[in-house]
Amino acid sequence: MSSTEQTPVIELRHVDKHYGQLHVLKDINLAVNKGEVLVVIGPSGSGKSTMCRTINRLESIDSGEILIDGQALPQEGKELAAMRAGLGMVFQSFNLFAHKTILENVTMGPIEVLKVPRKEAEERAMTLLARVGVAEQANKVPAQLSGGQQQRVAIARSLAMQPKAMLFDEPTSALDPEMINEVLDVMVELARAGMTMIVVTHEMGFARRVANRVVFMADGEIIEQGTPDEFFDHPKTERAREFLDSIMEH
Amino acid sequence: MSAQVSVRDYLYEEPGPKTRRAIRMGTAISVVALVALLALIVRSFAVAGQLDPKYWSFFLSPATWRFLGMGLVGTIEVALTAGVIALVLGFVLMLMRMSSYVVLRGIARVITEFFRGVPSLLLIYFFFLVIPQYGFKMSTFWMITTPVALAASAVLAEVFRAGMNAVPVGQTEAALSLGMRPFIVKMKIVFPQAVRIVIPSLISQLVVVVKDTTVAYVVSFPDMLQNARVLIANYDALVSTYLVIAVVYILINYGVNQLAIYVSKRSGGKIVTQTNIDPV
Amino acid sequence: MGISELLAEYGSKYLLALLSTWQLTLVSFALGMILAIVVTIMRVSPVKPLRMLGDFYVQVFRNIAGVSLLIIVYYALPYLGLVLKPLTCVIITVTLIGSAFGSENFMTGINTIGVGQIEAARSIGLNFFQIIRLIVVPQALRSAVLPMTNLLIAVMLTTALGSQIPLNPQELTGLVSYINTRTTGGITTFLISALGYVLTALVIGYVGNRLDKKVRILR
Repeated sequence: MSSTEQTPVIELRHVDKHYGQLHVLKDINLAVNKGEVLVVIGPSGSGKSTMCRTINRLESIDSGEILIDGQALPQEGKELAAMRAGLGMVFQSFNLFAHKTILENVTMGPIEVLKVPRKEAEERAMTLLARVGVAEQANKVPAQLSGGQQQRVAIARSLAMQPKAMLFDEPTSALDPEMINEVLDVMVELARAGMTMIVVTHEMGFARRVANRVVFMADGEIIEQGTPDEFFDHPKTERAREFLDSIMEH
Repeated sequence: MSAQVSVRDYLYEEPGPKTRRAIRMGTAISVVALVALLALIVRSFAVAGQLDPKYWSFFLSPATWRFLGMGLVGTIEVALTAGVIALVLGFVLMLMRMSSYVVLRGIARVITEFFRGVPSLLLIYFFFLVIPQYGFKMSTFWMITTPVALAASAVLAEVFRAGMNAVPVGQTEAALSLGMRPFIVKMKIVFPQAVRIVIPSLISQLVVVVKDTTVAYVVSFPDMLQNARVLIANYDALVSTYLVIAVVYILINYGVNQLAIYVSKRSGGKIVTQTNIDPV
Repeated sequence: MGISELLAEYGSKYLLALLSTWQLTLVSFALGMILAIVVTIMRVSPVKPLRMLGDFYVQVFRNIAGVSLLIIVYYALPYLGLVLKPLTCVIITVTLIGSAFGSENFMTGINTIGVGQIEAARSIGLNFFQIIRLIVVPQALRSAVLPMTNLLIAVMLTTALGSQIPLNPQELTGLVSYINTRTTGGITTFLISALGYVLTALVIGYVGNRLDKKVRILR
């Protein structure tokens, strides 16, 4: 990648987290540079979702540091809210606001947080909805949309905040197979446009095509990382080989 | 439904240091306020002389509890009898409400709407004051049991109906495709499954029956409140006696409700009550 | 007693009784809602003692028998130096009971929102109060319409407790008892009051259903 001197957009240093007895994140060290697409894979229970969620503090950490643009992640209050506004987050279960229309879902952040005038927010929202291909649905409510459409709206909702990076927490895991590609296409387009992304996913095809770097996690640890070609064709560790074998069998 | 994680806990994120301090502060202040409130209540009792042992000491004697217990037995007899009658009536009303005959459906509808829309106290006065005017002689037991049962049957009919509707349609379709007659399908396939779904609701409905039964003194039936009045006359201890009675009722109903919650957790059934049945 | 005779003698009393029932219902329900909101805020607050007090309050007043509460308010409070008008006693009793069930309805409404939406709201940078105002309250209110409709009917039925103390003017149930302890009024005396309740309940149910259809959140 580019020069190692630049400040990473997202950096985790010696991050540890427990759920009671369970050690879910063990000394995680990771840096994501501007424009980089990082794909995190691993078996379920490996801590990959938890790691993703610590980055905008949907989960707290026990020790270590998380830096956004070189700044320590705030722990609460206005500072935390402002930092979150600058990071997009897309969830497995879409989590659209059930009582708002699609358009209102996308304009809520800009209007309430960024204080953009309503009209301007709506215009920008329509552009984004068109970009993800659901502009015709703008006046419907979430329950009237298919899962794939809802997830694309969720992406538009995040983009409306003009984030410096996007976090995807298994964005296609809750989708019917025929809808997975319509969401992945949007993500590919985002990656091409230079968005900094961390993507937790099981979509190996996407990882191979789009990732700059693949991170493999198991049991709360980063086991290995490398370019997609290195990782998929010549995994260095036994754990990674086993994992790749297990998902290739089907 | 299984895991009891509620949004109540997620409204707040994991607190940072400042928030933690604020919560600790709030906790301390609220503890002080609560203790002050409690002290104020106790003080008003003391000032009024209501903490005098003569008002409370007779609750230490087993005879008092035996006497109240006799009343409680009366309450329980009425509640259980009314509950059983209501189960049968509720079941019949539900069958009528779900039958394919318009007339039956209409009648059942009118009956359920009527008994759900009328206070049980009014029904009790009907059996206590109006029925005897027509020369019917009823014991005080039935004067209280009948109206309570009627009121409950209308609610149970709706509870049963909700349960029947909660059984997947596929069950009916499968049975019909085997050549079973619709009525038999309803009785043998759907109803047994519906019962399992509504058991928690039936239990929690018992609370309503117990509450309705507490006005049995209206018809001079010797229930717990009636016996409490005797105690009050004997010991001149109105405040303490009524408070103790209230606590007993609360504990009984709390126990029944907890049982309903326990059963609903085990069976996965949802608790349907008067306030969450769809109106009309 | 025939119906014309009955109405001639007691017609205006019935009208007053119906109005009294409506008044008790509306006042108790309105106060109950306010109290329910306060109790619900306590129950979802991060302050443990307040949560416990709120939960305790709800358990006490949803399990207490209405008469035994009314008796305490009307007959016992004067011993503690608090003498209240009968009307006030009924309103207090019904309000306390109604607020406990109302809070339960609000809690259910809050719980149907789901953790995911709250996290999504957090992720776009909304602060706590914005999340409450924009996400939690609107959804909880809208999904509480139907349960609150039923609660309003239940509150109306509970106001019949007014027949147990000397209320003036009497409400619908007390009037039936009043008439029939004086004359042999017959079944009509009962039916008129019953009709007052049933028709009111039907209207409340109809309006509540219409409102619910309008604001219901698709999920």
